[in-house]
Amino acid sequence: MTPSVREVLTGCTVALMTPPSADAGPDYAASRAGMVSMMLGLATQEAEHAAGAAIAENADIRGVFAQCGGYDAALGGRLSAAAGEADLALDTPTLDAVNARLRRLLIELHEAVEAADDAETNRAIVALYGRMAQGRRMALGGGR
Amino acid sequence: MSGGSLAERLGVYLSRAWNEPVTIEKLARISGGASRETYKFDAVTPGGLRPLILRRDPPASLIETDRRSEFLALKSFHGKGVAAPEPVILELEGAELERPFFVMARIDGGAASSPFAPDAYAPHAAKLGEDFFGTLGRIAAADPATLPIAELGDPPTLDQCWRRELDYWSGVIDADELHPQPIVRAAIRWLRRNPPPPAQKLSVVHGDYRSGNFLHDGQGKMIAVLDWEMTHIGDPLEDLGWAMDPLWRHFDMGRVAGMVTKAEAIAIWERASGLKVDLKAFVWWELFASVKGQAIWISSAKEYRDGGYKEPILCFSGWYTARRQDEILAERLAELAA
Repeated sequence: MTPSVREVLTGCTVALMTPPSADAGPDYAASRAGMVSMMLGLATQEAEHAAGAAIAENADIRGVFAQCGGYDAALGGRLSAAAGEADLALDTPTLDAVNARLRRLLIELHEAVEAADDAETNRAIVALYGRMAQGRRMALGGGR
Repeated sequence: MSGGSLAERLGVYLSRAWNEPVTIEKLARISGGASRETYKFDAVTPGGLRPLILRRDPPASLIETDRRSEFLALKSFHGKGVAAPEPVILELEGAELERPFFVMARIDGGAASSPFAPDAYAPHAAKLGEDFFGTLGRIAAADPATLPIAELGDPPTLDQCWRRELDYWSGVIDADELHPQPIVRAAIRWLRRNPPPPAQKLSVVHGDYRSGNFLHDGQGKMIAVLDWEMTHIGDPLEDLGWAMDPLWRHFDMGRVAGMVTKAEAIAIWERASGLKVDLKAFVWWELFASVKGQAIWISSAKEYRDGGYKEPILCFSGWYTARRQDEILAERLAELAA
């Protein structure tokens, strides 16, 4: 997913090490510091949850692929191949790379489902989207 | 010319442009306006002090925008029943400031609320909602052909408003997507399969009319509509859909823009614009608003990376806001699939 925790922390470091320009007033500097603080708070959440969220999402996508055998031939057997995989490497960059591949295949599957006017499978994929979005949810202050 | 402080260079520029000595005082960058560097300053002239705002293109921008369109939009609505700040001067070549910029009048004494601040407008939310959606209705009612914004040229036909916007923003996603985004891709396909009816008229579309992009007096009155940089000509329902997107509801799903109910907002807008909201057509523009939002957040994530991770606001937009927009899009798709 983008940006990664590594990128966010890099960005926070860059922001903290870059002195404000001579034309930046105190309000701007304070606002920028507040934004960096918020990014660090979100990075804490992401560091705790990113790997678990990616594993859960990958498994969920594979589960939908496993239920869509009717589209497997049209997609060259890739649905069943992907459905049979598992996440063995648990570092976030590898999980993200696998997730990107699964998401691309999910897009292809959904296009095929729409072309077939298959309302039931369409609803199953849309329900998956809801779980994907919820699984990646981040909260600002107050749990919102 | 790159010597001297920004204030000194701006003073040189304005002295030449106004043909009188101008000195710049109290210049300070202010937050907000992610697509422009924004500064407040006082211009001291023989005739007195002018409180002003400088909006300069940054090296990297959240969204590609035309500063000329923002300037023409302000010219179109300043003093015409819309709280648009007075545009003062436009410099497309950059001159002493090296990047294109414009100057507009500064309106002091107002507050801008973050759309992520809960209950930001209490206890004047309903009164502010009347002003907010009434102002948007007045913008929609105007005939763009009679306004300075017409200088932009190339207005869409009534039946092509939706396609022009969808092509543009889906193109942004095509160009800037860093990680595959199946949710917004599904929404784009739905929009293409279910086009809306032709626009009932051509209107000026502010392009970013939402909670957080205006100043208010804390008593329920808008005193400045800001951030006109995405202004274009199109379907008046486009702005209404954007203003009502759940992203801008301050986490209060019962009140659009954190102000009034959806039905109340539509009624206010219809009274002010003299137009009608076709609720079937509006479903399209509501979903489009979330697609456009996601395009902007995807673009900001790419700019955050390409720009060397320097701007925290790009990180926030491309990260938290993108995730929240995905939730909204997924909810909308579920409603449409039910």
